[in-house]
Amino acid sequence: MNLGARLANVTPTVLAGILSASLLALFLLPLLALAEFATPAGIWKEGGDPQFWTALDATLLASAIAVGVSLLLGVPLGYLLARKNFPGKSLVRSAVLLPVMIPHLVAGLALLLWVAPGTPVSRFASWAGVPLVYSIWAVVLVMVYVGASYTVLASELSFRRTDEETLEAARSLGATPTDAFLDVTLPTASRGILTGAVLTWARGVSEIGAFLILAYAIYPAGPYTGTVTSPISVYIYNLYGLNLRAAAAAATLLVLLALAAFLAVQLAERWGRLPWRRGEVGT
Amino acid sequence: MEAGGGGNLTGLVLTGVEVQQNGFHLGPVSLAVAPGSVGALIGPNGAGKTTLLRVIAGFGPRPAGELALDGERLNDLPPERRGIGWVPAGLGLLAHRRVEENVRYGLQLRGDPDARAKASSWILRLGLERVAREYPTRLSTGERQRTAIARALAVEPRLLLLDEPTSALDANAREELIRTLRELLAAESIPMLLVAHDAVTAVSLADRVHLLHGGRSRFDGPLAELEDRPVDRFAARFLGYENVLSAEELAAAPSGPLALRLRAASGPGGLAAPAHALIVRPSGPGVEGKLLARRARGRTVLVEIDGLRLLGQAERGSSLPPVGSGVVVEVREEELRGIPGEVGTVADAS
Repeated sequence: MNLGARLANVTPTVLAGILSASLLALFLLPLLALAEFATPAGIWKEGGDPQFWTALDATLLASAIAVGVSLLLGVPLGYLLARKNFPGKSLVRSAVLLPVMIPHLVAGLALLLWVAPGTPVSRFASWAGVPLVYSIWAVVLVMVYVGASYTVLASELSFRRTDEETLEAARSLGATPTDAFLDVTLPTASRGILTGAVLTWARGVSEIGAFLILAYAIYPAGPYTGTVTSPISVYIYNLYGLNLRAAAAAATLLVLLALAAFLAVQLAERWGRLPWRRGEVGT
Repeated sequence: MEAGGGGNLTGLVLTGVEVQQNGFHLGPVSLAVAPGSVGALIGPNGAGKTTLLRVIAGFGPRPAGELALDGERLNDLPPERRGIGWVPAGLGLLAHRRVEENVRYGLQLRGDPDARAKASSWILRLGLERVAREYPTRLSTGERQRTAIARALAVEPRLLLLDEPTSALDANAREELIRTLRELLAAESIPMLLVAHDAVTAVSLADRVHLLHGGRSRFDGPLAELEDRPVDRFAARFLGYENVLSAEELAAAPSGPLALRLRAASGPGGLAAPAHALIVRPSGPGVEGKLLARRARGRTVLVEIDGLRLLGQAERGSSLPPVGSGVVVEVREEELRGIPGEVGTVADAS
């Protein structure tokens, strides 16, 4: 093989490597800058601040509820979109995409006008035992609004891949349509649904725009009077207004915790054969 | 697969079954498969074989006509209440369950207290004990096929439907599966209806064949009868006739002595001639032609006569000249079969 041919073989890989490295650097270098600015001592100090953990607790609780609500409401919708034909299906799919498409400040404004104290929705929510003022439920509402679309879309994609022959074989073995859904459709779609749930969760945890708009509705006496029900993103934003180094430390701590969670899932996948990996090649 | 309309017959009985789906019309199909016997559905792609099996299993649109199993009308029963073992072409194994769990699945659905023991017994019978703890993705095609059959039989169905059970298998695995199915058939007195992708499977397993073409029934009867009188060109090719000529091809051939004799023997759908109907020798009485190719093993040769390229057989004991030389061909007219399918209505299966 002459030099030109060798170069022709190598060049695409090298080029792809350089471009990939550039993107990875773009991902990682700002985080390094953040950690450097925060300093280990600052991160340590932030780790000792109970307000940080209260905000994190609130975020984890609200996002867990939001993921639960998204699964409860979003998976059936994903199923209907994937497996059934009905009038207005494309309109429904567009509606599902809306929260993903619109700027989150717009989403915040829309939600504000819908749930502000005094509106029928706010009164109904209070009556139903899920008050939206000074409570975690407004945070959950925002997280579901901005994140549930991902659960619907990922579920729809997964349900579309359900193998008809497996469903038919199960039915002929005695499975009712409900059995077949639980034993065939749901397990095959579980990995996709899980991906959707993770995206919903990540979207909810990282939300800030809609929270800032809604803050005066959720906390009428002032947005930052307490962190009991305010998510971590609002907590960090609050710190950013007061002390940049403390904000950087809190942000770095959050990144480190996210990395640790990510690593734990990776290790569990490698060692523990997580349920949604059953039957895949190599398990 | 004798067609019958009596509700008291045991086994599977289809009477005038018709179904319309996405512009495709299947039927009317009438056939019967008695307990302990095997029926084979044959036909070209798109003939409606899989559609018919799915209709019997309870999937797809509701059919017109009468579908009965052991005297019970099936038409209005959902698939889970038909008592039919359905092994689709893709097998439909539960990918997230191990082989043992797949075989046990139907028994579990029925709440069978002996599910585990019964599943183990079927795993042993189908020779799957080595892979019982594996997931389906780790199995060979033959093992997956046997898992699907074990799973279908474990629930003691009243009928077993198999869609192209041997099509994805190599010759050895196919032989093994055919042997297994024959053993099961001898032991389990249930009717079996399968889509046969090849003549070997049909010959080895089926008592009767049902030929579908373009959604229409073309033949129902013993395979030997179809072999003797192929009803269309697909049937002739499926059954291994080496030379299958359409009436148009024969009409277009130059009018030499061979073409004239073949035309005389052909039917509206053309002509089927096995290689041994054309005996090829270096010289002597017969029609003159040219040797185009010969196989390294066996006696099959390719000759060209009157513009037609035909497979014949070298005469036993004679030594043929080199390829490209002249030869003579003796036609055994008693081996030629006219194809009755009308021109224009029998779709070419090639």
